[in-house]
Amino acid sequence: MNPIEQNHQHNTRRQFFGRTATGIGAAALGSILSQELMGARSADDSKPDSDIPLGCHFKPTAKRVIYLMMSGGPSHVDLYDYKPGLEAMRGKELPDSVRQGQRLTTMTSGQKKFSVLPPLKPFKKYGKNGMMLSTMIPHTGSIADDICMVKSMNTEAINHAPAATFFLTGSQIPGRPSMGAWLSYGLGSLNDNLPSFVVMNSRDQENTCGQLLYDYYWGSGFIPSKHQGVRFRSSGDPVLYLSNAKGVSRPLQRKMLDHLGALNQEKLADYGDPEIETRIAQYEMAYRMQTSVPELTDISDEPAHVLEAYGSDVHRNGSFARNCLLARRLAEQDVRFIQLMHIGWDQHNNLPTQLEVQARDTDQPAAALVKDLKQRGLLDDTLVIFGGEFGRTVFGQGNIDNKKKHGRDHHGRVFSLWMAGGGIKPGFEYGKSCDFGWNVAEDGVHVHDWQATVMHAMGIDHEKLTYRYQGRRFRLTDVHGHVKHELFKNGSSDGSHS
Amino acid sequence: MQSSRFRPDLKEVDPENRLLARSARFRMPAPFIRDSALRVSGLLNMKVGGRPVYPYQPEGLWWEFSLERFKYKPSTGDELHRRSLYTFWRRTVAPPNMFDSANRQTCSVKPSRTNTPLHALILMNDPTYVEAFANLAKLVLEDSSLKGDDQRLAMAFASAVGRRPKDREQAALREALATSRTHFNEYQSEAAELIASGKLEVPESTAEQVELAAFTSVAQIVMNTDEFMTRE
Repeated sequence: MNPIEQNHQHNTRRQFFGRTATGIGAAALGSILSQELMGARSADDSKPDSDIPLGCHFKPTAKRVIYLMMSGGPSHVDLYDYKPGLEAMRGKELPDSVRQGQRLTTMTSGQKKFSVLPPLKPFKKYGKNGMMLSTMIPHTGSIADDICMVKSMNTEAINHAPAATFFLTGSQIPGRPSMGAWLSYGLGSLNDNLPSFVVMNSRDQENTCGQLLYDYYWGSGFIPSKHQGVRFRSSGDPVLYLSNAKGVSRPLQRKMLDHLGALNQEKLADYGDPEIETRIAQYEMAYRMQTSVPELTDISDEPAHVLEAYGSDVHRNGSFARNCLLARRLAEQDVRFIQLMHIGWDQHNNLPTQLEVQARDTDQPAAALVKDLKQRGLLDDTLVIFGGEFGRTVFGQGNIDNKKKHGRDHHGRVFSLWMAGGGIKPGFEYGKSCDFGWNVAEDGVHVHDWQATVMHAMGIDHEKLTYRYQGRRFRLTDVHGHVKHELFKNGSSDGSHS
Repeated sequence: MQSSRFRPDLKEVDPENRLLARSARFRMPAPFIRDSALRVSGLLNMKVGGRPVYPYQPEGLWWEFSLERFKYKPSTGDELHRRSLYTFWRRTVAPPNMFDSANRQTCSVKPSRTNTPLHALILMNDPTYVEAFANLAKLVLEDSSLKGDDQRLAMAFASAVGRRPKDREQAALREALATSRTHFNEYQSEAAELIASGKLEVPESTAEQVELAAFTSVAQIVMNTDEFMTRE
């Protein structure tokens, strides 16, 4: 087809959908068309692959993602990656053969000794398969049969912001679209009343860590900014300027919006610019959000036993527990990507006192979320991810004989992360670290591999979802990443999973 | 001047306007919309130069973002109405009403132009805009050269979009005023509240309060039309 004709078709198609659908603007096809239209397409389509949702490259195993991003770097050594030999090595120097001269952060590179520090608390077998987890996280233990523990994660990054940026955007340097933005761009929205990408943040109550959560962690980079995450605040309006000005009641607002619509319709009839139509639709969605968001964040309709499951912290606005509960409510409303970031895992010199507090604040809510989703039948197509930007060193930072004041430094060469639901194999452990939890021993999962795998669960070929910017096509995984098919329930090592 | 109207015959020839068959039509960047709102309502402070200013922001917004290290203290008086250019900007986060601004992490050669419900919420409810609605209402009510509702409505409309309303638009405006007037007559305390949100001195008589609130409500929709925020 000649390019002019092609343009013409593009334009008229776009205007057509502008009139008939709530999907708005030109981006990936998925975000132009509403699900309703996608449904219509599937029904009309007699081809065998018609159960592939629009925007997907193949049949997804997950419809939505809840990413519990543990900012600061949880210690895999203390929590997830059991190494029976460490106790005997307590206080002894980490062998050079393990470290192999690899670089350390400047926080420990000047240390004279790199003494092995075994886990603070004993590990124990959990679940049918006897997954070894720290007794500090018994609630995670209670979902051992539902989660897939990846014990061979690795990253090149050694500091918080670059490492988190890497996990969330595929690059250590800020400016790329975040994973949620890519998915919103590629797949569009499933809900007309809520944003497709929602972010909620929380932190440890003791405020022991100094990481900032930059808004580019949920940014859209160079793809259109409507795909950026919408952060729900825990105080004031959950969404900025959600409340009407004082004195403007909802009934009045409704009527005045109708008059506004009439004025815009006049303009549309005169000018024919489809953007006007879009604007009318967006004002209507804003109006709906004014009720849908407060309804979502109002948890007074939750029965006591549900609240109890998430722990008493659920009653505190802005806590991780509350956010986990809200994440479930968002998942019920088919929000595509829900990103919870929790600060407080950076224990350089307060591991003995803070790790347990941190584990307590996150263990029960995260486990409750998985159980709650499962109980409602949502876990099957919701992918839950729990993990930090890196792990921590097996050697102690500071004097490990000081009972309270020591810790562990950042460590990205190997660490753990768990996933549940969304087609991921439950009660399963993948990958191995070496005996010191320092290097990958088997089946390494690089950050880009993990990203490719998450995209795969959502039905997207990570090599195909691209956006042209500054003369070249970009993708979440840059030029890297291999899907780990073995992590899927129906997966196999040759990548032939359906 | 070339018109930006989408003519059906041009749609055939140049559907994406690559040949510039029509003039460009696009939503203005957020700082321009804010400046226009301030100008139209007579609030804009044209002072040039000086230190940055701190327009309204939801309380505690940057306090959270900075891990409780940066307290945003809004400016007072006419500093609140300086051009958007003078707004204080944090390196890591844009002011909340400056939507679609460059993210300052990568090179941007053209502004992002999206169309989302979040923008609608800002343009309807941000205190800067609510003040502008109320002040535009006050301008047309206090203009002694204007006689009757029709002239006042037409002036409010023309101030915002730079042209007189067509008959059908005038009719829509009349209906809008009837709606808001009836509403505030019935709920007079809401009228006082809205005037107070617009940071206006509350007139003594209830009738005046109702009139001011009713026109404020109309100003709100006039300043939320697609045309108000669009360069055409």
